[in-house]
Amino acid sequence: MGTASMRTLTPPVRVHQNNIKFEENLTGYLFMAPTLLVLGMFVALPILLAFFLAFQKVRLLGGLDFEFVGLRHFARLTQDERIGIALKNTLEYVSIVVPLQTVLALLLAVTLNAGIKGQKLWRVLYFLPTLTSSAVLTLIFMWIYNADGLLNHVLARLGLPTYNWLGDPAVALKGIMLMNIWSTAPFFMVIYLAALQDIPQALYEAAMLDGANGWDRFRYITLPHLKPVTFFVVATGIIGTFQLFDQSYILSGGSGGPNNATLTIVLAIYQAVFRDLQLGYGAAIAFLLALIIITATLIQRRLCGRDPL
Amino acid sequence: MVSTWFKKIILSISLASLSTGCQPLWQAAHSTPKPVIVKLSGWGASPIEKKLLLEVLKDFERSHPNIQVKFEVIADQYMDVLKTRLIGDAAPDVFYLDAVEAPFLMQANVLEPLNSYITKDFDLPDFSPNLLQPFQVGNTLYGLPKDYSTLALFYNKKLFRAARLENPPKTWNELFANAKQLTRDRDRDGKPDQYGLGLAPELPRLVYLARAFGGEIINRNGYATFAEPKALRGLQAIVNQYRNRAAVLPSDVGSSSGSDLLGQGKVAMVIEGNWAIPYLQDNFPKLEFGTAEIPSMNQRPGTMVFTVAYVMNHRAPHKKEAWALISYLTGKAGMKKWTSSGFALPTRKSVAQELRYDGDVLRSPLVAGVTYAIPWQLGRYPAPITNNFNNQFLSALLGQQSLQTALQRAQKDANTQIQSSQ
Repeated sequence: MGTASMRTLTPPVRVHQNNIKFEENLTGYLFMAPTLLVLGMFVALPILLAFFLAFQKVRLLGGLDFEFVGLRHFARLTQDERIGIALKNTLEYVSIVVPLQTVLALLLAVTLNAGIKGQKLWRVLYFLPTLTSSAVLTLIFMWIYNADGLLNHVLARLGLPTYNWLGDPAVALKGIMLMNIWSTAPFFMVIYLAALQDIPQALYEAAMLDGANGWDRFRYITLPHLKPVTFFVVATGIIGTFQLFDQSYILSGGSGGPNNATLTIVLAIYQAVFRDLQLGYGAAIAFLLALIIITATLIQRRLCGRDPL
Repeated sequence: MVSTWFKKIILSISLASLSTGCQPLWQAAHSTPKPVIVKLSGWGASPIEKKLLLEVLKDFERSHPNIQVKFEVIADQYMDVLKTRLIGDAAPDVFYLDAVEAPFLMQANVLEPLNSYITKDFDLPDFSPNLLQPFQVGNTLYGLPKDYSTLALFYNKKLFRAARLENPPKTWNELFANAKQLTRDRDRDGKPDQYGLGLAPELPRLVYLARAFGGEIINRNGYATFAEPKALRGLQAIVNQYRNRAAVLPSDVGSSSGSDLLGQGKVAMVIEGNWAIPYLQDNFPKLEFGTAEIPSMNQRPGTMVFTVAYVMNHRAPHKKEAWALISYLTGKAGMKKWTSSGFALPTRKSVAQELRYDGDVLRSPLVAGVTYAIPWQLGRYPAPITNNFNNQFLSALLGQQSLQTALQRAQKDANTQIQSSQ
């Protein structure tokens, strides 16, 4: 009796609204279903699987077999000397490549934006390396870095010392850095270029009336306006450089040599999984890498002050 | 008009479907059954070697019309690719396997034991026991060696004559004495421009020296033991030579390999394998070189042998046919053709005799070595042992630390890595 009266008391409009809301939600999810399916299958599921694998010892060859080992892989991470070397190499690589490629990208963008002759031609020329596949670039650079390669010929002609770029542990990673700065800077240059064209011209004109010189205008107008873009450039740069793999894989033939000089974290994951067939340990290293990248991005967000994204 | 066109189309479609639909029926009646496809994989070799192998495979197909061989070259990262394919059930039926990689695959239960296939006609005792042993676990045989090379002393005859030396050294002490005589500094800048001995500072080339005084590289469980004093003794001799500037590394003088050093006249002696013979003959046709068995150390002869076998995938769908291929390739006729050009040495004694390799001036020292050679194989964990040894041995050569400290460090690191990978 009470429930019946309650039902009559509830306004019919409300029920109708609830229905509409549910239907709207359903339609929304239906529209998103393909994306959700793809995301679930290729993003969420692999992450869950990697999490599962990181605690398992997996036997791959001669019959699949799982054995729960708890935190053993993570304990091994802390003792593995090669992971330490890979971490050191990767950090060195990130800390040199990211600032240099960001500054270079900004410089290229500013010069191209200044209205020099043949702007379009320069833009195309600068952008070419970014369009080339990194595997092809690496092979070309291997020829350049070869002991009797182009680079050593040029250095010798200029009377500078030559190096065994691919074989000397002291310079092998530097070679990869050089190649990557050269090929990624133009990509970020294009992003900077787009951002530069968004800065209102009126600001520069007003500053000029106030007596600001070129450097002042760059320092107090251009740079602050580029801050959100710089955050993007640095963040994607850090993520990309932490994931360095193909160049060092090709250059060292998969070994990370000479003497572990080009061993990176992702290469260590590859070696753990495909060379030593230790899927679980590879997953554990992957988690370490994810942790590092997430931390680096969070720190960077804090440094940037507000949330620019 | 339209109707006739329509009829024609209908007719042709029905005819086409009839003929395709019925094909198996009259094929069964008239032609031979479809050949069985056997997949074979190996790594890339020189064009001449590849041509030779394809010829042998063609001969095989001619004598076995019911089998078709699909040969695929895995150009890069052979073992990585092969292991991944074995896991994914996409591996070839028959493939090359280097002796050093064999223990890992043999214990993983992915290779087909060959004992039950071998008949008396196949004549297994014809193979040198030293070459079969790397592919055996107990009495089970998993692979048949296709070819091999040992190491021998290669020397420049002209430089020997110039130093008034008649014969290549017979013992390592003689070799060291000769190396000193053969080291020359013609322009007197303090840095020799001709060295006695070229070195390859890698474990695969040094194991026999470490074992000359009774040392061992690994123990029964596959852990590294090369830092024990007995093993150090043989290796120390090499380090001393380098420190005394009677020996040199290829990278010190801008060469790419030991054969290159010898060819360019930068050294008078170098220890290399069969591969160096065609290389030297092709690239340095004017070089007058000879070969000799590696001198004895501690009154014991010693050398290494590197060998590669054909093995069968445990999950191959057509095992009978796969065995037919292996037994042809490692049989007397197939091996004779494969090793006839001198790129590879035959693992069958009868083939070596037939091709007269024991009488070949350049190759007889290589052939003679096979009876006492140590197969290059390191248990189930060759990678950490070799990598750590090579890194630390090099730093000892360069004088950055004593050989003992270097190898103790390498041994400790290798064993930690092996232990944590279990």
